[in-house]
Amino acid sequence: MKKMHIVLLLLVVAAIVVLISVFGNFSTYETFASASKQPGKSIYVIGILQKDKEMEYDPQKDPNHFIFYAKDKAGNTNRVIFNGEKPRDIEKSEQIVMMGYQEAGTFHCSRIQMKCPSKYKKDMVVEGNNS
Amino acid sequence: MEFIGEHLRPGQLGHFFVITSFVGALFSAFSYFRAARTEQTDPLASRSWLLFGRSGFVVHTVSVISIFIALFYIIETHLFEYNYAWEHSSLSLPGKYLLACFWEGQEGSFMLWTFWHCVLGLVVMRTARGLETRTMAIIALVQVGLATMILGIHFGPEFQLGKTPFILLRHVMQNAPIFSSPNYMNFITDGNGLNVSLRNYWMVIHPPVLFLGFAATLIPFAYCIAALWKGEYQTFIKPTLAWSLFNGAVLGTGIMMGGAWAYESLNFGGYWAWDPVENASLVPWLVLIAGLHTLLVYKSTGRALSLTFILLLLTHLLVWYSTFLTRTGILGKTSVHAFTGDGKALTYHLLIVIGVLLIVAMVLLVRRWRSLPRIRSEEETLSREFWMFIGSVILFLASMQIALSTSIPVWSPLAKWISGKDFAPPTDPMLHYNNIQVWVAIIVGLLSASVLYMKFKNSDARVLGKRLGITALIGLVLAAGIGLGQRITMWQYDIMLFAACFGIVANIYYGIVVQKFKFKKLGPSVSHLGFAMVLLGILLSSYNKHAISFNITGEEFNPGKKTAEENAKENSENELLFRGVTSPMGEYQATYVSDSLSMKGKDKIIYYNINFEKRDPKTKEVTEQFTLHPDAFVNTKGEGVLTVNPSTKHFWDHDIFTYVNHIHGGLLDKSKSDTISYKSHKVNKAGDTVIINSGYMVFNGLDRKIADARYVPVDSDLIISARFTVYDNKDKPVKDIAPIYILRNRREILHIEDTIPGMNLNVRFENLMVKSPTDVTTEIMVKQTDSDFVVLKALVFPYINVLWLGIIIMVFGFFISLGNLLSRDTSALIAKN
Repeated sequence: MKKMHIVLLLLVVAAIVVLISVFGNFSTYETFASASKQPGKSIYVIGILQKDKEMEYDPQKDPNHFIFYAKDKAGNTNRVIFNGEKPRDIEKSEQIVMMGYQEAGTFHCSRIQMKCPSKYKKDMVVEGNNS
Repeated sequence: MEFIGEHLRPGQLGHFFVITSFVGALFSAFSYFRAARTEQTDPLASRSWLLFGRSGFVVHTVSVISIFIALFYIIETHLFEYNYAWEHSSLSLPGKYLLACFWEGQEGSFMLWTFWHCVLGLVVMRTARGLETRTMAIIALVQVGLATMILGIHFGPEFQLGKTPFILLRHVMQNAPIFSSPNYMNFITDGNGLNVSLRNYWMVIHPPVLFLGFAATLIPFAYCIAALWKGEYQTFIKPTLAWSLFNGAVLGTGIMMGGAWAYESLNFGGYWAWDPVENASLVPWLVLIAGLHTLLVYKSTGRALSLTFILLLLTHLLVWYSTFLTRTGILGKTSVHAFTGDGKALTYHLLIVIGVLLIVAMVLLVRRWRSLPRIRSEEETLSREFWMFIGSVILFLASMQIALSTSIPVWSPLAKWISGKDFAPPTDPMLHYNNIQVWVAIIVGLLSASVLYMKFKNSDARVLGKRLGITALIGLVLAAGIGLGQRITMWQYDIMLFAACFGIVANIYYGIVVQKFKFKKLGPSVSHLGFAMVLLGILLSSYNKHAISFNITGEEFNPGKKTAEENAKENSENELLFRGVTSPMGEYQATYVSDSLSMKGKDKIIYYNINFEKRDPKTKEVTEQFTLHPDAFVNTKGEGVLTVNPSTKHFWDHDIFTYVNHIHGGLLDKSKSDTISYKSHKVNKAGDTVIINSGYMVFNGLDRKIADARYVPVDSDLIISARFTVYDNKDKPVKDIAPIYILRNRREILHIEDTIPGMNLNVRFENLMVKSPTDVTTEIMVKQTDSDFVVLKALVFPYINVLWLGIIIMVFGFFISLGNLLSRDTSALIAKN
């Protein structure tokens, strides 16, 4: 065997090992219920903003604290705390993808992606302050 | 029905040229194909087929330019009966952005791509000589595929092939009632306008450059196909190398401009976010660079031909795959700025084109695989080709990791079928990519520092060891200095820092000592120097990127991070700035001074003027002062959605990057200030307190003496004032106020309010209720509109200029190599004649 073949083999093995080891990085789409089963694990939940429930945001007190309620695809409504500023026009969103983790009945969210009804408006992502 | 006021001629002409461009490309592809097939057997027929092919391509090119002109005419003269003009432009749009309207839409950006292929195709036609028939057959074939994208021909009610930019508005919205009246044009007076975030000078120049970079990948692809087709592997080397160098430079510039645009006008908080759209342009570039290097290996040693073909063929296919990812909407929920999806028709259309190109490439490669020239002997460990080959493989593997992670929506249905899990992108994409790519950066950085010192075939180990030892030592010292100074503590980033510093030192040393500064030969070392600077710039600017806006008022909440440090960071990167109040921000004192309005067409843009001041800690003198103007606008195109743009202060060694996150009051929502009504409060004796939003007021008693200039005395008046002292939140007295109560002619009650403008406070003496001489109740009405404020995020990017400079130097290096290659080519030609 040529040494180039050995090097290539090593590289390919290394690539496969890296791929397997980072596979855990990929997250999953969950519901609030399935997220509760793995508290503290960072996942995505797709839901709809519950407009009839109260939204709390008082930037004078804390600009990085926004509380709202969302209903997931299974139909369960959950309280969500977003550690960022209230996304502009979240009321107009059609669907929101929330990234975060479930803990003690509350979903702690650090990124919100909103799907807007307008065909001219691109989807919008709002980051929490973890960058 | 006859419609009044429509201008149908430009659209008809445009559509005619769409058809001729398609037919021209088809004819050209067929003729060139015939010319290639008859080249050996019947040179005379081949010659006439060649001429047919050329004329077909010229017809195609002229048609494409005509389409461009027709569409530009429609946009420029504001013919809103056409959907494209209506959707992407408006009357008030400044002239310089008219071109940007082209690439806002899907059809326009396909046209831009087609146009560049035409231009490059004409150059290939004139320069490819013996390979003209085959390269041009492929180029024309790709043009056929692209032309179908804008054909817009219906087959039955369900299926439509492509989307024409010349479709009328009334055809797009057939069911809208407005189009049932013949004079509907009277009601359509203005278009939708261009998305405001695209109204940026980067948006005028960045898409053409990026698309030229994408388009240029076609040429190495075509040359590789031609070489395989002909079964002749020498003549393609030089043109492919030249085009790959050109391609690497242009695509690299395009990616940099994309980063600069994101940095200047999007609030991503940076120039690179591993966003799928960004990745989609980076992956082809990485594969192209890998292919360029293996081609150099092949040119010098005759090795690595098969990998060269794989990489260069793949580069162009990846550009199509990127188009598929970003245009069809398949990325949907995973990307911020993926184009709006045009749905299924486009998905299948693109899959068919990719499929055809893939099959052509695969079939040729498989058929020629066994006959490709190979060198049986083993390469030396200290040879340039050995390490260049390894570097290329690593670049390729790295690009595949990025492609695989970006393609989640493509493979997740399969993964769900296998595992039952619904896979999503990594929750921290930056970390996901950085953790892997840092190692690629290290290895490729070390290789690009040392590989030039090695010679093809074999190198003198002693000389090599000495040179590498010296430069690595200097690099190590440099890295140690920077690492300590910049407090880079994570060990893998320290290694990356060393790789970058070693790269910088080694390539400068190589250029000066080994190459003796011969400009023509400096290409590789200059590119490698630029690459090392890019690595250093990325490392310094992102490792020590930090917020200087801290929330000093907020309550803590637990973001669930592992360390207290991370928790605190999450809590505090936004800072609240009241208008007129100065707050500390990093080493500065920041003040939200004012907001100002500017109309950009229909869109209101509001600038927030934030003053930054730095004072000398001892003398308290202002040593530095500047104003930043982050803005916000109501996007009329996005149904009134608010969008913000950052504002950046550039210093030579760092940038201060700010944008507003939240806006309260001011010009943007005046309504909020006015809806607040008066609240009633009653006080009885001196010392009583009234709580207001931003402090409190203490009652000092009533006073018959009036010293208010606004009051003109009238004899019959009974007049009295209520004296208060207003304190702010920090118990500091702000001002004494005395609203006045007047009883005129014993009937008419008048009030003179007192105000504190800085606190938005209005106080009215509403009523006086006297029950007995000792029991007097004073009723006052207090209105305090909320103070205007913005929530600002301010980030510092240290040494970001190293990154920009690095890219420019790298691109410059490509052009030096290209110039050298072309001049050798010409001089060889002259010598021959």
